[in-house]
Parts: sequence; C-alpha cells; structure tokens
Amino acid sequence: MGVIVLLIAFSLLVALTFLGAFFWAVKSGQFDDPQTPSMRMLFDDEPVSKNNKTLTNKTD
Amino acid sequence: MAVDTFHYDNKIVRNFGIAAMTFGIIGFLVGLIIALKLIFPDFLGFIPELSYGRLRPLHTNAVIFAFAGNAIFYGVYYSLPRLCKASMWSPILSQIHFWGWQLIILSAVLTLPFGITTSKEYAELEWPIDIAITIIWVVFGVNMIMTIMKRREKHLYVAIWFYLATFLTVAVLHIVNSFEVPATLLKSYPVYAGVQDALVQWWYGHNAVAFFLTTPFLGIMYYFIPKAANRPIFSYRLSIVHFWSLIFIYIWAGPHHLLYTALPTWAQALGTVFSLMLIAPSWGGMLNGLLTLRGAWDKVREDPVLKFLVVGVTAYGMVTFEGPMLSIANVNAIAHYSDYIIGHVHNGALLWNGGLTFAMLYYITPRIYKTKLYSVKLANIHFWFATMGALFYVIPMYWGGITQSLMWKQFTAEGFLQYPNFLETVVQIIPMYALRAFGGSLFIVGALFGVYNIAKTALSGSLIVDEEAQAPALIAETENHEEKWHRRLEGRPLKLSLIVIVTILIGGIVEYMPTALIDSNIPTIESVKPYTPLEVAGRDIYIAEGCNNCHSQMIRPFRSETERYGEYSKAGEFVYDHPHLWGSKRTGPDLHRIGNKYPDSWHLRHMYDPNSTSPGSIMPAYTWLLKKETDVKSIPSKINALRSVGVPYAEGYDAIAIRDLKAQADEISTGLRENGFGEVEGIQITSEKQIIALIAYLQRLGVDISGNNNPFEGLPSDSRMGANVKEN
Amino acid sequence: MHKNSLIEKNQCYHCGEDCSDYSISTDDKVFCCEGCRTVYQILDENNLCNYYNLDNRAGNTVKANLERKRFDYLLDLEVQHKLVDFKKGNTVSVTFFIPNIHCTSCVWLLENLQNIDQGVLRGTVNFLKRTVTVVFDDSKTSLRALVELLTTIGYEPSLKLEQLNEKKAHSIERNLWLKLGVAGFCFGNIMLFSFPEYLNIDQSDSSVMFKYFFGTLNIILALPVLFFSGIDYIKSAWAALNQKGINLDVPISIGMLALFGRSLYEILSGTGAGYFDSFTGFIFFLLIGKVVQKKTFDRLSFDRDYKSYLPISVLKITKGGELSIPVNRIEIGDHILIRNQELIPADSINTTDHLQVDYSFITGESEPVTLIEGEQVFAGGKVIGQPGELIVSKKVEHSYLTQLWANESFKLSQNKRPLTSFADRISPYFTFSVIGIALISLIVWLQIEATQAFTIFTAVLIVACPCALALSTPFTLGSTVNILSVNGFYLKNLTVVEELSKTNTFVFDKTGTITESNESKIEFIGEKLSKKESQILASVCHSSTHPLSKTIFKNLNTKELLTSDSFQEIHGKGIIATIEGVQVCLGKLDFLREKLTGIEFDISEVLHSGSKVHIAINGSYRGFFSIQQRFRKGLKNLLLQFDGLDFPQYLLSGDNEKEKSALLSLYKGWEEMRFNQSPTQKLEFIHSLRNKDTHIVMIGDGLNDAGALKASDFGIAVSDDKSSFSPACDAIIDSDSLGSLDQFLSFSRISFNIIIVSFFISLLYNVTGLGFALTGNLSPLVAAILMPLSSVTIMAFTTLATRLTAKKMGLKLWV
Repeated sequence: MGVIVLLIAFSLLVALTFLGAFFWAVKSGQFDDPQTPSMRMLFDDEPVSKNNKTLTNKTD
Repeated sequence: MAVDTFHYDNKIVRNFGIAAMTFGIIGFLVGLIIALKLIFPDFLGFIPELSYGRLRPLHTNAVIFAFAGNAIFYGVYYSLPRLCKASMWSPILSQIHFWGWQLIILSAVLTLPFGITTSKEYAELEWPIDIAITIIWVVFGVNMIMTIMKRREKHLYVAIWFYLATFLTVAVLHIVNSFEVPATLLKSYPVYAGVQDALVQWWYGHNAVAFFLTTPFLGIMYYFIPKAANRPIFSYRLSIVHFWSLIFIYIWAGPHHLLYTALPTWAQALGTVFSLMLIAPSWGGMLNGLLTLRGAWDKVREDPVLKFLVVGVTAYGMVTFEGPMLSIANVNAIAHYSDYIIGHVHNGALLWNGGLTFAMLYYITPRIYKTKLYSVKLANIHFWFATMGALFYVIPMYWGGITQSLMWKQFTAEGFLQYPNFLETVVQIIPMYALRAFGGSLFIVGALFGVYNIAKTALSGSLIVDEEAQAPALIAETENHEEKWHRRLEGRPLKLSLIVIVTILIGGIVEYMPTALIDSNIPTIESVKPYTPLEVAGRDIYIAEGCNNCHSQMIRPFRSETERYGEYSKAGEFVYDHPHLWGSKRTGPDLHRIGNKYPDSWHLRHMYDPNSTSPGSIMPAYTWLLKKETDVKSIPSKINALRSVGVPYAEGYDAIAIRDLKAQADEISTGLRENGFGEVEGIQITSEKQIIALIAYLQRLGVDISGNNNPFEGLPSDSRMGANVKEN
Repeated sequence: MHKNSLIEKNQCYHCGEDCSDYSISTDDKVFCCEGCRTVYQILDENNLCNYYNLDNRAGNTVKANLERKRFDYLLDLEVQHKLVDFKKGNTVSVTFFIPNIHCTSCVWLLENLQNIDQGVLRGTVNFLKRTVTVVFDDSKTSLRALVELLTTIGYEPSLKLEQLNEKKAHSIERNLWLKLGVAGFCFGNIMLFSFPEYLNIDQSDSSVMFKYFFGTLNIILALPVLFFSGIDYIKSAWAALNQKGINLDVPISIGMLALFGRSLYEILSGTGAGYFDSFTGFIFFLLIGKVVQKKTFDRLSFDRDYKSYLPISVLKITKGGELSIPVNRIEIGDHILIRNQELIPADSINTTDHLQVDYSFITGESEPVTLIEGEQVFAGGKVIGQPGELIVSKKVEHSYLTQLWANESFKLSQNKRPLTSFADRISPYFTFSVIGIALISLIVWLQIEATQAFTIFTAVLIVACPCALALSTPFTLGSTVNILSVNGFYLKNLTVVEELSKTNTFVFDKTGTITESNESKIEFIGEKLSKKESQILASVCHSSTHPLSKTIFKNLNTKELLTSDSFQEIHGKGIIATIEGVQVCLGKLDFLREKLTGIEFDISEVLHSGSKVHIAINGSYRGFFSIQQRFRKGLKNLLLQFDGLDFPQYLLSGDNEKEKSALLSLYKGWEEMRFNQSPTQKLEFIHSLRNKDTHIVMIGDGLNDAGALKASDFGIAVSDDKSSFSPACDAIIDSDSLGSLDQFLSFSRISFNIIIVSFFISLLYNVTGLGFALTGNLSPLVAAILMPLSSVTIMAFTTLATRLTAKKMGLKLWV
C-alpha cells in the first residue's frame, strides 16, 4: 500500500500549507477583532457621489 | 484624494451565471434521461452515444463541474472583489478562466458520449483535458490570490479562506489523482493499479465532494446569508473555528468509500473515524448559518433568496450527518452499492448546491442589472418545485436502496438466498425509479421557471458592466520594532520544525514516488496474470461503454455476497488493473466472478438483447458491439503504456501482441460459430467484432484466483512470451 | 427598512428622541435639537444618509453643541505625540475610544469619514472595544479637526488624562492562539498516524514499514508541541521550583516530559508506538483551558483611577484670551474656566459668586453645593449651570481627589491576600504522592521484574498527569463568569470568583449605590396645585439649572411652557418669578421667609427626610415638594437576604445624615452607619474591619469609594452604563442587577463545590490510570482513551453542572 504513504505525504503538505496560513493570519492580527468584519462585509462601497439612498432597496 | 475608485467586473459574473444556468439545465436533463432509461431501457432507442453507461458520467460531470463549478466561480467573482474592496486582478485571466472552463466542459460533452473516458468517477475526462483543467484552475488561483494581495480591506473575511482552501486542495487532489500514462491521444492508463488506484480514486472522490461541492459553497453561504438577511453572521468567531477545524480534518475522510473492500482494515477504520469527527465542524457551520436568521424568519417567509439559502443549509446539515453515519461499517454494509447513496448525493446536490446557486442567481441578478426581481411569486413557485422535487427524488431512493440491499442479503430458512436472481431485486424497485424520475422532472420544471424569471429580470434592467466602487487605500501600519523581534524569537523552534517537516515530505515524495507507483507492496498472488491483448481491448470496451457505472467488480466478504457471486475479492487479484473497475453502484449484479460462469454464446445473446437471457432486465441492448470492430492498431502502444506502469509484459511483446489478439479472437469466434452463433439476425460475428474482445475480457474476470490456467497458453507468443509472463 | 416609515412624526429623525414640544425641521424631517440637525445636514451634504438606513437606532443625541476652543489642546505637539499610535511622514494613525459606538451604522459612518474630511485616509472600527483607528494626512487635516468632526456627528471620543500615559501592546493573546493551533494540528495528525497501531496492523513487511514511517512522523509532529505549545508549563514549573514552591504546572510538566521521553524511547527503540497522541492531546486540552481562562470583557475596564476620570484638557484664561491646555500642565495660580457639566481638574479657589458644584461622584454628597467667591473647590467636582472661573491652588496630582492614591494605606491595599488558585494549593500534595507512588512502584518492580520497572515508573508519571485537574478550574469558573455576565455582573477575571465565594461582610456606599444617582422620589405636601399653577411652576423650574428644579419640572410633566415676565434665581437659595401676573416663589424655607414677610408656615417638615422645596404662589404658602433619592429596586430584599445569612452590613456615606431615617426604614439591621465620610475615611474604615476571618465586600460607585473598593477583599462598582466611568474594582454590576447580588454570591459558592467534585472525578481517572500503570498494562491505546476521555468528561461536567445550577437558581443563561 505504498500509495498510502504518498497520499499522506500530499495531504500533510496541504495541511501544513494551511498551518502556515494560520500562522500568518494570527500573527498579522487577522483574528484580533472577531466581530467588526462580520458587520463590515454588509456594506456596499458605492461611490458617495451617487445617492446612497438607493442602497436600501437592496435589502427590501 | 485618499479614496481609490475602482470597478467591479459584473460582466464576468453575469457570464458565469449564464453558464451555470445553461449547463445546469443540460445536466439536469441528462440526469432525467438516464433516470428514464432505468424505467424504459429502450427509451431513445439503443444509440451508443446515448446509452446509460456513457451518459451517466456526462451527467455527473455536467452537474458537478459545469453547473456547480460555474456556480462557484459565479459566487467567487461576485463576492471576492467586494470582500477585498478591489477589482479582480486581471480581467484577461478572468476571461481565460471563463472560456477555458467552458471549453473543458464542451470537450467533456465531445468525449464522454463517445466512450472516451478513464472510468474513474468524477475524473472520467481523459489526460489532455486533465492537463487543460490544471492550467485553467491555476489561472483561476493566480487571479484570486493576486486579487487578495491587492486588496483594500486588511481583514480576510472567512469566505475568502474557504475559497483559498478550495483552490489549493482541489489542485493537489486533481494532480495526484491524474497521474496517468498516455497510450494514445485519447487513451491513458493510471499509474496506480487495483487497490492503490481505488484508494487514490476515493481519496480524490471524497475530497472532490469535500472541497469542490462543500468548502466553496460554505464560503458562499458565509457571504450571501448575511448579505441577504442584512445582518452579521450569528457568530463570526464560530465561523473561524469552523473553517480551521474543517480544513484540518476533512482531507482524511476519503477511505470510508472503500469499507469492506480489499483495502487494509486499518485504513478503512481511519476513514470512518475521521468522517465521524467531521460532524462537529459541519454542524457548527450549519447552525451558524441558520442562527443568523433567528428573529428574521418573517424576512425568510417572503424572500426567495433566503428561502433557498435556508433549505440549502438545512440540507447540508442533513447530508453532513448522513455522511458520517454511512461511513460506519455496519451501515455502510447495507447502503453501499445501493440507490441509498444516490439519494444521499442528490440530497446534497439538489438542495445544498442547487439551492445556494439559485439563491445567488436571485440575489445577484437584480443587483448587477440595477433592477428588481421580475417576479417574487414565480421565484417562490420555483422554490416549492425544487424542494418538492428533491423530496420526491430522495425519499424513493432511500426507500428503494434499503429495500433492494435487504433483498440482496435475505436468506431463506434453509440458508439459501431468498432472491438468488438479482433481477428480482431490480424489478422490485422500478416503481421507486419512476418516482425518482418524477421528482427529478419537478426539480427541472422549477429550474426552468427560475431561468425564465432570471432572464426576465435581466431584460428588465441593463447590466452595469463596470460597477463603480470606492474604498480608502490600505495603509501598512509600522509595527513596534522590538516587539516584532521578540515574536520572531518565540516563533523560531516551531518555524524550524515546520521547515524540517516540509522538506522531509517533499523529499519523501520525490524519493518514494517511483516505488509507490510501480511496485505496490500488495500480497501478490502467484496465479494472477496480466491480461492478454484481446482482453486488454475488451477491458477498454468495458470502460468505454461505462459498464462500471452499473456493475461492481468487488465482492465483499459477506456470506450474502459470496453465496451470490462466489469467492470474495482479494487485493492481490487487481495488481494488473489499470484503472481499477470496482465500481460504486450495483444497478446490475457484481461481475468480478463472471468469468467462465456462462458460455460465450450467453454473453453474445445477452449483449444483443438482455431480455433474451434475463427477461425483464433493464440493461440496454448493446447491438453495436456486434457491428463495430475492435480497435487493433492501438494495441502495441497500449501494451507499452501498461508495461511502463508496471504490468510485466516482456520487452518487445508489443510487436507481436496483435498476433496474439487475432489468434484468441479467432478461437472465440470459431467457438461461437460451432455453437451456431456465426451470425445473429443477419449480423456476422467475425473475430474483429468488439463483442469478441468484450467476451474475452468478461470470461477472464476473477478466474485467475483458481490458478489452473495460463491465459497466454495456446497463443502464438506462448512459446516465447508465455514463460516470460509466467515468472513475474 | 426606511426609517421614516418606522418612526412617528414627533421623533427626532437623527436620534429618535421625543421632540413633540420643541422641534426644528429641515426637508420634512424633525429634529430634537440643533446638534442633531447639524449631523443630518453634514451627512446629507456628503450623501452619507445610508447611515439612517443601515440601522434605525443609529443616531446619537448630540448634547452640548460644540465650542471650538475645547479642543485647542490637541494642537499641542506633546499631547499629539502621546495620543497617536504612529506617525510616518504626513501619515498619522490615532485610536479613539468612542463610547457611543453601538450599531452597524456607527461602524459604517466612522469607516466613511474620508467622505466628510478629505484629510482622512481610512478609519477602522473595533466594535467590541468601541474604538476607531483613524489614519489621516496631517497636511490636509489635523487631530483637532478630526476630534471636532467626530464630536459634531455625535461620536465624541472620550479623551481622558490617562491617555497621556504610554500604551501597552497585545501580542500575548495571539501567541496563545498560535500555540493552540499548532497543538490542535499536531494532535489531529498524530492521532491519525497512531490509529493503525491500535487496529494492530498485521506483521507483513509493508505494515512494519508503516510502523516506522508513522513513528517518525509522530516524533517530528510532537516536537513543535513540546517546544512551542507546551513550553510555558515547563517554564512556569521551573520558576516555581526555583522558588522552592510547587504549582500545578510542576506535575503537569513531569507528566509531559514523561510522556514525551517514554514515547521517544519506544519509537526509536522500536519497542512500541509511543504515547504521542496522548501527549499532544493533553497539551491541546490544557491550552483550551488557558483560552477559557483568558476570557475578558472587551468593553469593560476594571483598573481605572482618577486619570481615566479627569478630562485631558482645561480652558486656561490668559491675557491673550482663553486657551485649552493639557491638564497635566496646569500650574498653581493658573486661571481656569470650567463650563456647565465640566469637571474641575485640580483643587482651586472659586472666583465666581454662587458657583454650583456637584460632588456626588467625588464625596458622595447627593446635592450640589453652592460656593461663594474665595471658597475652596475640589478636583473632580462637576460644575452645574453658569460657568466658573477658578484659580488653581494645587497641581492635579496633589489635589484632594488624587491624594487618595498617594495615601499610604491605599498603597498597602494594593497587595491584597495572595490569590493562589485552589488547584495550585493542592498540587504539592498531588506531586509528592505521584512521585512517591512512582518511586515505590519502581522499587517494588525492581524486586519482581527489573526489566518492567522503568516502564512502570514512567507509566505512573504519565497517568498521574493532572490534565483534567488543570481543566476543572478554568472551565467551571469560565462558565460561572459567563453566566454572571449575562445576568449583569461582570467579574474582572476568573481568579476573583474564589474570593467572591468567601465574602461575608458587606459595606455599602450610599449615593449612587443604595440610592439611584439620577432618579428620585418626589411628592408634594400641601394643598393641591391647579393645572394652571403647576404649568406656571413648571415653566419657572424649566428655566432654572438647579437639579431640584429639574426634578420638579420632570414631576409636573407639562408640555407647553409659558415665558416668565420676570425671573430671579438666587443660587443655592431659591427662585422668585412672575408669569402672566402670577408671582411664584420657591426654594429653601428661610428664602421664602426672607422674600415674603408676614405669611405663616403651618407645617412640620421634620416628618419628611430628604430635601424640600417650598412653594408660595401670589404670596400664599402652598406647601413643599419633598424630594428623596430613590433606593434601588430589590435592595431592601437584598439587605434582608444578607441579614438572614447574618452577614454584618455597614453603610458609608459621604452625605449628611438627612436621609438616615429613610435608610433605617429601608433596613434597620445596619451594623454601623457612618455619614460625612471622606474617601480616605472610607478606606480606613475598611482597614479597621479587616481581620483574618472577615472577607469584606465594598459596594460603591463613585471615585470617593475608589480607596474602599481597593482596600476591600472584593470591590464591586455599581454602574448605570457600562461604558461610563467606574472606579477600580474586582467586578462591575449593572445597577438593575444589584438586587440579585445574594444569588450571584451563592452561585459562586456552588461553583466552587462543583470544582471540588470535578477534582474528585479527575482523581478517579488518575486512580484508574494508576491501576493500569502499576500492573504494567498502560498500553498507548489505554492512555489515548483515558486521557481525552477524562478531559472531555471534566469539560462537559463542569459546564453542564454550572449551567444547570444557574437554571435552577433562575439566572439567565443567554443574553
């Protein structure tokens, strides 16, 4: 079943890449604020030159 | 001006949307066709290109890669720029990605119905297309990652993480699973054989589901539920935990697809354990999605977008509970190979993937066309059709699956099989097939309403090709210096060990690759021999016709199965199977011990008209096998390809292989003629016919274990090659 | 979603406050005040009206409309340097704490400032911490302009003296997450690689190959767990041992090292699969415990002193006119100007006549005092009504308010009884018994079978690992603190729960603690007032700034007001005014006597405690309003509850005795009541109560209690609004929840019993493990099952137990 070794190696490689990503994320303070991002993503960044009142229709 | 102005490319979004809808409808229809074929075998007549075995992979590919695939890109190309507050990095790459992907799908349509397939589930496309997929996928990845690099929002919203995970994992899975050696332009053999091939295939197969049909859609869920409900996700913290725990476990769950197979028991158990572990993160995600809507159910009642999202997420919850349950050995013993799995899969596909996709379409279209949804009423009708359709599909499948599987296992008091004739168990569940077809058509009708509604919406507005947006540029914060140095110090031992592991892994892979691929340390069985050239040709026909879609070649060690089919399958019997043909569904009986069970003539008649040998059979007639001729020219290159992946054909055997083939073919055809089957309804059964090759292969299936015959005996090469073949 | 549809006509379009009687309107929208209108206009000009659509509770009432001079001090370079996070070229980043942040709209608006002020580069809100970090280009705009903008749109940053001190960094949290992540990752994978062993894979050469393959992988994966995730335990254990002490980390480290060493040996020597899964899992769970322990309330701060109460700046009067300077630069002799509702930063001499100062927060006096020229004013007092001009007599750090922090006994009370957790206290016994057992077994087995001895020895050390033990405390207390916070009682951290559970002596502050700071009980004694009369009276009171007049005005609730023909207010005495020919005279009794001679007052006001405002209309005495501060809801019951448990209860008041009777009627069992208490006296009083078996709870609100709160074993600050100032303490309690303090107390007690029970459960596991170990049957599988099982049991047990108890006690479980 040599192939298992191969699969594990590949899987681990992927997993480690994610672990690396996890590191970067924590260190760069990605998870310092566990609340605001979820609110921020609700906003549409339309240019203010347009009248933003139209935005409301979207949630209707 | 501190504020940057940039544009969102809505055109590419629109295009992916259209693609998703078009291919969705096509995929559904193909599904419906094959569903009907199980009720009326002669539906659409017996045209090779429209036979069940060839259409089924087309259906799965269309739905997974064309429908779901385009839907994913639809969602990503809409949400990613908005979450990053930046336009997609390269419009050109976006275009390449779009058209490339559609071409891949087209090539699938142009190959699968013509029997050009690798037979590996969800990876049926042949090697040139595999390469194309890799390239386009990387294009997508590059475009996505660069967009993230150029973002204006410091924080990466959890959805983006899910997208990234999708890209990386699918890339690795696809590449690892597609190691294959081309024999001809459109034919290749995987480097793995038998058990190994099966394991890789299901490591891929499961994770394809995991990372193609789940993670991206979770990202989509985390973007569109809050947007549609205009309220933040229930717990953002939970969503982050959800992501990381899912990512660290998911990839291990593959082997549960191979329970009771020839796979080592501990590997099977691994699959089970990790599948069970998955319940936690999956349900965490589901609850997070649903709880977001707590107190907003009034909104859900009127908004079709939310409706689809809710039912989708609920379905996700059901499926992710069912999955682990199915991976428990005893449950699996019953459900596996049965229609239950089909139900399970469609529960997810129709409601989770389908539901979320339509939710996106209903949410995005009015926005990019700056208009209102053409008809909310119609959308709600669509919703009910979809939900009802799914129910009418799934429930009969569960019912039928269990019923049939129990019948398979049913013994009489005297200890004989209650239903020795497989056909009885099939006939029993045909009504369920009918109901399924009905459910499917409901779903399609709904989808058509949806498409109409979307189209009308689009027409009522005008596409904002470049949606203008503004956001302040991202300013790098200068960090406190000695603090940084401090942190680095703490990170060191760990960084080191990480680097060590990575290097070891890469080294290991490079080092180990050849051994792992060529000599598989499987307990080899002395009497198991490679296939003769004719059998190879026959096997390729078996693959081309997609027989493995209805017939397994893996007898599990249950009395009910050994009674019915014969001795259970051993790992060692498959060492020359490139690819493995274990199959995953028994619409027809298992074929692993079909060899020498019936005379050649029986197979001939059965192929020409199944009902003549087994009355009431729903297997289509394969009349063309009696008319078409076996492709002989490619045999030498096939022999070479197989040798290069480890099948011990002697050097130079390719030169004389065709002679062996002809000799064996003649032997069979003469045999048939002597039994009065020289011609069937005016069709001459000459040795060149495909049916001859197929019979040769079928008669060889599972006979080696008895170890009393050398397939190469009596072949011209025998004197010279036989010996060489014997000692491997 | 449209606000207009949701809100009736007479509500302010911006802040939604009721503004039926006096309203300003712009394009068909109504506003309660100029401030609100301005905000709307600004947003409208900049097309930011989406603000009102995102959340319909968006707007903040804009109280005082802004005077530019207020923020002059922000031009001061030193102040700027102190406030900004970093400055690079023209790019400046500064973080403000804005209590008003409360909804999605706030986040949206504050992150769109660049649309109002071109100089702003970007704004980033942290909703939990209620801060906004603004990066701006100081060539285009200035810190001051920014603060002014924020203030005008109703998001005044709270700029306090403390911000002139240095800030601290926050990388500990992150590190913990990293450690947890690594541990989790390695745990998951090692589990995977150890699995084949448990299914005892056959002895075929391929399987053996796997054994080695997996073994090596496990070793590699275990390394980061030991040297990164787990290192802190070893460090702390080492530190403890160096001080000849033993904390819980000692047995933990022993276990860790035993696990690691043994596993390493087994794998390298090929004698077994090792216990790496147990090892990593063990640390993973421990770290989860740590995370729970770290729980804090982002919005609350428990260690505030006067610095976070005093303003950052003050208006200094110079020849050149007024100029705002940072408070820490006030010099003795400076002339300073303090406006209505502003705080006095330093002790000074009053130069304005009839200056009204509210000391309630500082001294506990409920009623504002009126000062004549030349009188002493104390730091921390709040000026009411007309502005006061003062001459500084002491620097801030030497003022009345701040001397408390200089006070010796205050410094002493910094170091309370050492807070060692129960777990730490028992760990020495634990450790020694473990080592003892291990050694004995070693010796014994050396007699029986020497080859086994080493194995047994390590096995004992392994199973004795107090993982579950270490988890029970954080998990129990974690959920306890959670539940308490849901019920409006916010604890500083997990360790204080233990102290809380021990408390048995209670000291209450009066003003703002027992009595509600703003609400008050008011009744009119005398012949009833006609509708017209009360309307006139209301109009008079409305035009006075005195809190009592305000209370009466509120009590009379009259909508349309009349304008007075004549109005004269003698500060601290009373008002005499004429409206539509009717002459009204209200105020202190002697004031009326002095104003209107020759009318008789036939009432005995002694019956009524609290303060009184006497009314005479057209020269005839009508009676008086008796205004008593209202006692907080549920307080009586609370006091009686404690009485039932015969806890001695004391009352300390900075106020005079005028409400003594009322306080007694509330609860007569007071151990002792002290009035006119200075902050320092309160502090001393607490010290006087101290002896070995009293565990004193001080419950106060104002700065005047700061000393006492600190000196007590458990200081509770009562607060009406969490984001507003509360002095240093161990816990903050919502004023409405004060009534259920007794419940909270008994809850904390029970949670300690839960901890004890869970200790026994975990010990049970250890004993079971020992059983396996001593008989030499501790296979990796057994360990791998036992270890997580025990941890999970403890987590589940403690959490469920606490929640069930809470449910039984009728406490809320969810927000």
